[in-house]
Amino acid sequence: MSGRGASNDIRRLWVRNLIIWAALLLLLLLSLVAAYIPMGRITTASGIVIAGAKSTLVVLLFMELSSAKPLIRLAAISGLVFLIAMFALTFADVLARP
Amino acid sequence: MTDESALLREPWIDFGRQLEAGKFGIWVFLASETLFFGALLLTYTVCRIEHPDAFAAAGRETNVWYGTINTAVLLTSSLTMAVAAQAAKESARLRRVVLAGLMITAMLGLAFIVIKGFEYKEDLDKHLVPGAGFALPQPGAQLFYGFYWLVTGVHAIHLSIGIALVSRLIWVLYRRELPAKDNPEIEVTALYWHLVDIVWIFLYPLIYLPGRAS
Repeated sequence: MSGRGASNDIRRLWVRNLIIWAALLLLLLLSLVAAYIPMGRITTASGIVIAGAKSTLVVLLFMELSSAKPLIRLAAISGLVFLIAMFALTFADVLARP
Repeated sequence: MTDESALLREPWIDFGRQLEAGKFGIWVFLASETLFFGALLLTYTVCRIEHPDAFAAAGRETNVWYGTINTAVLLTSSLTMAVAAQAAKESARLRRVVLAGLMITAMLGLAFIVIKGFEYKEDLDKHLVPGAGFALPQPGAQLFYGFYWLVTGVHAIHLSIGIALVSRLIWVLYRRELPAKDNPEIEVTALYWHLVDIVWIFLYPLIYLPGRAS
């Protein structure tokens, strides 16, 4: 009986994670195809936006941040906040040059 | 209960607190890693804004197939790592799933390094190392490849550390030196592994996809 319980647990674990994995591979394929379509800056942006979507899936579901406690979420978000500050301050200079 | 007492370490008096502290600690470390790689990506972005055509020409010289296959390999390693980490939390009966997941993860990590090795060989043959005899005429292309070698090298070091950590886990779990159920070391190693994957997720469009449409 415990054997059947364990195999159900195993199936549930794999199915849940395989769906996320399939979505990740689909996004990878999408970014590869989009890179060959000439859309100017949108082509570049699509690659970065898709990378953002992929990492959101990994962070929320594989790293389980979606069900983490507030302290853990704050620690994770602190890196992102300082990253945004670093990019924003740099772009304020680089993009405003004549 | 016996599992928890085998895993409890100084200075914690309670296993729940130890687990929380371990998770908090690794997330703070991962936040610092985000800034470390973020600074490199920012440097790339500034150089690319200055030299858009050279970066497109340089990006076209990378082997998009090696890059895409390696991205798929790392995404799959995150899948097996996630299954191993979740199985460890689920039940002590899933010890074999944890071990199998960790073994496949380590092997996929090694596969990534081997594929990267073939790619490096091709890059060397094509004279894509900045300096005398560099293959492309645009000066900006050398900036691209300076970034390429630095950031893929640092990433490979991170991945190698990940493989070593996962191999160590396999060793101690296989010899039953530590239980798999609720083991904080599995959780922390898994989080590190996923971050190394995320870094590569962002490197993929920046290294392999520029200049493909033009």
